Amino acid sequence: MLATLLSIMIVLLFLNFPMMIPLMLAPVVVMLIFNPNLNMDLLMGQLLTGISSSVLLCVPLFIFAADIMTSGKTSNRLLDFIGSFIGHIRGGYAVTTAAACSVFGAISGSTQAAVVAIGRPMRDRMLKAGYKDSSAIALIINASDVALLIPPSIGMIIYALAAGSGVSVGDLFIAGIIPGIMVFLAFAIYSVIYAKAKDIPLAERQGWGERWKFFRKALLPLAFPVIIVGGIYTGIFSPVEASGIAVLYAFILEVFIFRTIPLKKIPSIALSTGLVTSAVFVLVAGGQLFSWVLGYARIPQQISEAVLGTDPSAIYVLIVVSIFFFIGCMFVDPIVVILVLTPIFIPAAETAGVDLIHLGIIITFQAALGSATPPFGVDIFTASAVFNKPYLEVIRSTPPYILILLLIGVLLIFFPQLSLVLIN
Amino acid sequence: MKILQWVDKAFMKLEEFILSFAIILISFMIIGNVIAREVFNSGAFYFAYEVSQFAIVIATFMGIAYAARKGRHISMSAFYDFAPFKVRKVMMIIINFVASIFMFILAYFSYSFVMFEYNTGAVTTSLELPRYLMGVFIPIGFLTAGIQYLRNTYINFTAKAKDTVYIGIDAPDYNDQKKKQDIKLEDINL
Amino acid sequence: GGSDDGESNGDTGNGEFEEQSWQFVTEELQGEVQYEYAAEFANRISEKTDGAITVEPLEFGALGSEVDQAQLLQQGGVELAVMSPGFTGNQVQDGQIFSLHYFFPSDQEQVQEVLTNSEALNQDLRAKYEEHGISPLSYWTEGAMAWSSNAGIESPDDWSGLNIRVQESPLMRETYAAYGATVQSLSWDELYTALDRGTVDAQENPIFFIQSASFHEVQNTVTVSNHNNYVAMTTVNTDWYNGLDDNVKEVVDETVAEMQDWVFEEQTAQNQEGINAIEADTDNPTEIIELTDEQIEEFREVAEPVHQYYRDEVSDIDQDIFDKLQEEIADVMGE
Ligand code: NA
Ligand code: NA
Repeated sequence: MLATLLSIMIVLLFLNFPMMIPLMLAPVVVMLIFNPNLNMDLLMGQLLTGISSSVLLCVPLFIFAADIMTSGKTSNRLLDFIGSFIGHIRGGYAVTTAAACSVFGAISGSTQAAVVAIGRPMRDRMLKAGYKDSSAIALIINASDVALLIPPSIGMIIYALAAGSGVSVGDLFIAGIIPGIMVFLAFAIYSVIYAKAKDIPLAERQGWGERWKFFRKALLPLAFPVIIVGGIYTGIFSPVEASGIAVLYAFILEVFIFRTIPLKKIPSIALSTGLVTSAVFVLVAGGQLFSWVLGYARIPQQISEAVLGTDPSAIYVLIVVSIFFFIGCMFVDPIVVILVLTPIFIPAAETAGVDLIHLGIIITFQAALGSATPPFGVDIFTASAVFNKPYLEVIRSTPPYILILLLIGVLLIFFPQLSLVLIN
Repeated sequence: MKILQWVDKAFMKLEEFILSFAIILISFMIIGNVIAREVFNSGAFYFAYEVSQFAIVIATFMGIAYAARKGRHISMSAFYDFAPFKVRKVMMIIINFVASIFMFILAYFSYSFVMFEYNTGAVTTSLELPRYLMGVFIPIGFLTAGIQYLRNTYINFTAKAKDTVYIGIDAPDYNDQKKKQDIKLEDINL
Repeated sequence: GGSDDGESNGDTGNGEFEEQSWQFVTEELQGEVQYEYAAEFANRISEKTDGAITVEPLEFGALGSEVDQAQLLQQGGVELAVMSPGFTGNQVQDGQIFSLHYFFPSDQEQVQEVLTNSEALNQDLRAKYEEHGISPLSYWTEGAMAWSSNAGIESPDDWSGLNIRVQESPLMRETYAAYGATVQSLSWDELYTALDRGTVDAQENPIFFIQSASFHEVQNTVTVSNHNNYVAMTTVNTDWYNGLDDNVKEVVDETVAEMQDWVFEEQTAQNQEGINAIEADTDNPTEIIELTDEQIEEFREVAEPVHQYYRDEVSDIDQDIFDKLQEEIADVMGE
């Protein structure tokens, strides 16, 4: 049964079927073959259940906020400001890119939005400064991963949904802050070393007058993460409400204060958000259908026992989880991987005494890493489309970043406090 | 033919309106609820989550056909992108046709689910609206998606598609673009 | 209970039972009252049928949400389920009667007596559920509801201006509005954090649940208010149940009846353990407030108009069930 389920899934995926098709077709076919008496209504009900969790409302709202800001001038303001402070140091442009991706990640929940908003303007600046195109793109793809680790994060929202009640999205958001900063610092250090080795010319140092000017222009966008994280931390609002506030703030900023977007353009931005929402939520609905059939057939218990044995240690569980998610996300969209694999490992993780917030950080981290890793990580294809570059050119310079991320992944496994210290 | 084009256009506009309106409605509900509670200490937006839920369900299922038309459903195109024109053409025809059949099957199954919900008479907790009103968008969504995928299949046989593969009727395969134009945020999947 | 025509066979005990296996889905996790109920039920059935019938208890979440589980039972996807009327309330409106404040006795033994013996519940309400393919074989309590807050609720006035998180419905809005409190809708996943950070001020749940969800860690007080009960129903798929052999049906009915005392003791023990654990948690001191009879009377007075609101205003309510149950309750309370 599992074999049938997986073969349908994999064959259709590799044939370039829209992912929602195998995700729903495989469980429906398996049910018709193995449980013909079961009423199909039950399966269809799962499509509603899958998208009924109110936590999911964060997803369209954070995307909407990011879409509004991407249509406006927010990303340029952030880049000018950060660049005016660190542009002149060795590897300054690269460090600026990494920093800007982190800051933009704090606004947006998705890596792809960061690739578009920061990657496009920053790549031009890096090329002018003398960077090779492939190294600029590699940095952009990997630095954008931080968007998934720093709140808000769509990966974490989906994980909280899949892990079931008791896992707080707010806690996950806060737990991601230190790992996110670690990734930024590691990339910054690597950028400095790289620029030294390749002898990239230095940019001109900006005066304090210029810096003040750019700071003032970036001040309001910079308040964004403060409002979101601060609001969740102090309890003025929940993560879902924070996403609503993010929309309100982006709207006021771009429409009324900066006046970069005319009011009548808002519906077309909302349409773009709605389109992405539909494409993602169809997967969430289908993912629930898929996991329900897994659960009905008691497959999670079987897999978990086969892979983990009956009494695994916490570290062993985390290593196995990391491998599964890393490989899964190299091939399939992270949302699908998180929805399908999380319920399989949760029982074993709980028995082994793994903190579910810690597990969520590991899973989100591996999902981010996997989606930036060849052969099929989705970020690579996004970058290939955005920058209009052939696939091989896009992946050429990624190995050092992947090594750095793997190393951080190991640190996160062995030192749970890196994830948990801020919530305790 | 004119009238068919007009119907097509009108339907697309309706889909666009639904998607756009759903997102704006959710924003209003969630923001309204926070302001009602934090500023006025009131529960006046008690329906916020339920209305948002409706909006999400409608956007999700009514968006399937629109995303299919625009070729925007997430897929793993690594192998496909490396295939020659003829292979890609055959693949796209098969993919769209199989997808269409499957959408019709799901429309049938989910129609039966909605009838079940209708017969239970179940209502939602806050606004006490019949629950089937939410479910009814599932079969409608699958049905329109099935029709859309059928049209996506058909367009690949037309003269217009002589040297272009169409992923959706409004989405020529970017592998066939002579000069790939600049790609905007709304052209990329999340 | 419903059918009692199986008695003539009289071949339980060492009679022949066909090999069968049933699934018994619950809304709670291992260790919690509902799951333990299903596990004990499974043991007893297996014992009585010499292992011919096996019952598999299922934790919450394995097969979807509470609403999914109700549908699963209706469609025959599982044979048995523990469900709370609160979650099936959107099919049978009369299930909301259990959420009225101070409608049932506040004494737990009396509550148990009403739930076990009431005709209004075990015949009339059961018939309502059977229209939907669900047969409730018994009603039992998982414990009285308690309020947790930082305000320390002792009288209706203490509610004034507070935001409480409960499962949102028109009846709940009316109920808490009577005290001057506002119902806020908030997803269950966000509740712990919301209480911790003061996004909402209070919530209601049985004691064992407040303790297992650690709400006491982020609240200063728990009021043992006994304002209503977390009622659960042992339910079966109606067609499946009606199609059982008489001897099997008899074993099921007998076991369900025996389980009433068992589950009452189990929930009493779990709730007592809950209180003990909350008191023992000195890192997070929590004051346990027991209401006096006079204080309860004060609440009852404010809550009573809402009973009439429920009877007369809430749509699709069977007023006969309300009236009959009200009388039965009055009898038990000796009024
Ligand atoms: Na983020
Ligand atoms: Na406390």
